[in-house]
Amino acid sequence: MANPTWILETRELTKRLGGKPVVNEVNLAIGRGEIYGFLGPNGAGKTTTIRMLLGLAKPTKGSVHIFGHDIRKERIQILRKVGSLVEYPSYYGHLSATENLEAVRRLLGVPKSRIGEVLSIVRLTKEADRAVKGYSLGMKQRLGIATALLGSPELLVLDEPTNGLDPAGIQEIRELIKSLPGSHGVTILISSHLLSEVEQMATRVGIIAKGSLIYQDGIQMLRERAKSRIRFGVSDPEAAWRLLLSHGYQADWDRRQLSVDRTDDRTVAAIVAQLVRQDHQVYRVEEETASLERIFLEMTGTEGSL
Amino acid sequence: MLRMFRSEWLKIRRSVMWLLIAVSPLIALAFGLFGFKQEGSFPWIEALSLLSALHAMLFLPLLTGIYAALLCRYEHAGGGWKMMLALPVSRTQVYFVKFAVLMLLLAATQLLLLAALLAVGWANGISSPVPWRTIFASLGGGWIACLPLAALQLFASVAFQSFAAPLAVNVICTLPNMLVVNSARVGPYYPWAQPMLAMLPREDYGFGAFNLSLETLTIVVLGSFCVFFAAGWTYFAKRSV
Ligand SMILES: Nc1ncnc2c1ncn2[C@@H]1O[C@H](COP(=O)(O)OP(=O)(O)OP(=O)(O)O)[C@@H](O)[C@H]1O
Ligand SMILES: [Mg+2]
Repeated sequence: MANPTWILETRELTKRLGGKPVVNEVNLAIGRGEIYGFLGPNGAGKTTTIRMLLGLAKPTKGSVHIFGHDIRKERIQILRKVGSLVEYPSYYGHLSATENLEAVRRLLGVPKSRIGEVLSIVRLTKEADRAVKGYSLGMKQRLGIATALLGSPELLVLDEPTNGLDPAGIQEIRELIKSLPGSHGVTILISSHLLSEVEQMATRVGIIAKGSLIYQDGIQMLRERAKSRIRFGVSDPEAAWRLLLSHGYQADWDRRQLSVDRTDDRTVAAIVAQLVRQDHQVYRVEEETASLERIFLEMTGTEGSL
Repeated sequence: MLRMFRSEWLKIRRSVMWLLIAVSPLIALAFGLFGFKQEGSFPWIEALSLLSALHAMLFLPLLTGIYAALLCRYEHAGGGWKMMLALPVSRTQVYFVKFAVLMLLLAATQLLLLAALLAVGWANGISSPVPWRTIFASLGGGWIACLPLAALQLFASVAFQSFAAPLAVNVICTLPNMLVVNSARVGPYYPWAQPMLAMLPREDYGFGAFNLSLETLTIVVLGSFCVFFAAGWTYFAKRSV
């Protein structure tokens, strides 16, 4: 039986495509009411993972449990309570937005009034009776989000939902997503290749790179990491480094400075005292604050690739 | 199941398919109105032969492929498979409903051909009673003989993203029909020729595969239908979208 505290849990989820693992032993864990930011650069395996979560593709290895049930065994019961938008929005171009939603509504069996509700949530009411093939990308994206919301899901899986939206649209969707867990108790998995995009709404993040989950924890812990080092500008970094090492402090040095992991004030004071006692000149002591985005780039190893 | 039919209905309600359904019966009607001469002692059967010749040899197999491709096109184009299969529906149901809709479209085509036949008979003032049994055996038989081809074409249309590929194959395979029916050995096993073998009145066609008993044809049709349908269905149930 799966751990009941998690709404969604994967164990060693693996997908091999063309001989190499595109998703490799991923263990996701998402709790009720969370907004989970699923981050990774292009080609990291986000969409492939999401496909397996929804039963659209079969894992090569590993398992997916949603609401405590195995997706392989109880797919239909699970999907009744899941709304999703995968990769790019799906639609029937020759139908209007209302008819598109009606086609899905008939399968879900929810009341007709939901169509008007979700259309107004994504602000498509005015355009609702026009054929979708004439929509802009952003409007199609909104329709996709409306479709995902139609069945009043308990779990919402959104794969890059702000793709193609203008800044105002992104802001709107962000506000909408933030409001859902509070007002409806919805749990949300939202994927993105930009940390900054989910940073303001996610309660937890999972970071995937080259198919492996390399980080999964609260966004706060990631922020902690972001200001992670104390730098000492000193006259002779190498000698200072040896000194610190001999006193049991882990440090790094380069031509101009010495740096240690972020630590408490007493340790910093002790280090400075040591240096001064040995006649090192200390020019400055500063905290290095890397941006979250930078941490993300370093972690995913895509720094400098663009 | 019913809700899925209702959803499917919404998608095809405003499609070009409705125009296509009328094409073959209208051509047959024109043939009948201008080409039919009341000569023999079985005018209805002669009219039926005339109207169904081109229809059964060419249009019925072609339309089977076109309907199948159209039913899958809007799913391929806008990511419909992905959307539908992430909803609480079983893949088996999705596939069965697609197939059922395909067969219903073919049935509608056959009914329109019946209407064309009755119109020709009425216009020519055929006085003998309508031989309903023979007519229904022909139209119904032609419809049932579409089963294997429909299963094959739905399989191809589901498997290929492209709209044109399965259609091209269908056209190429339909064209040799006239030759294939001459062979008693190959004819009954050729899915594209089966509608013709089943539909044309046997009294008028005493050659090649037409000499086969109806039982043999029925067994071959139903047997190959089961094989093709099972293949398409298992493929659809397993595929990644
Ligand atoms: N059918 C396939 N055969 C082989 N490799 C594939 C196949 N489908 C996807 N891949 C590979 O899997 C990797 C992950 O793809 P995926 O679409 O999951 O990435 P993603 O994280 O969603 O990226 P993006 O941010 O661009 O959407 C890519 O490197 C891709 O090339
Ligand atoms: Mg993706």
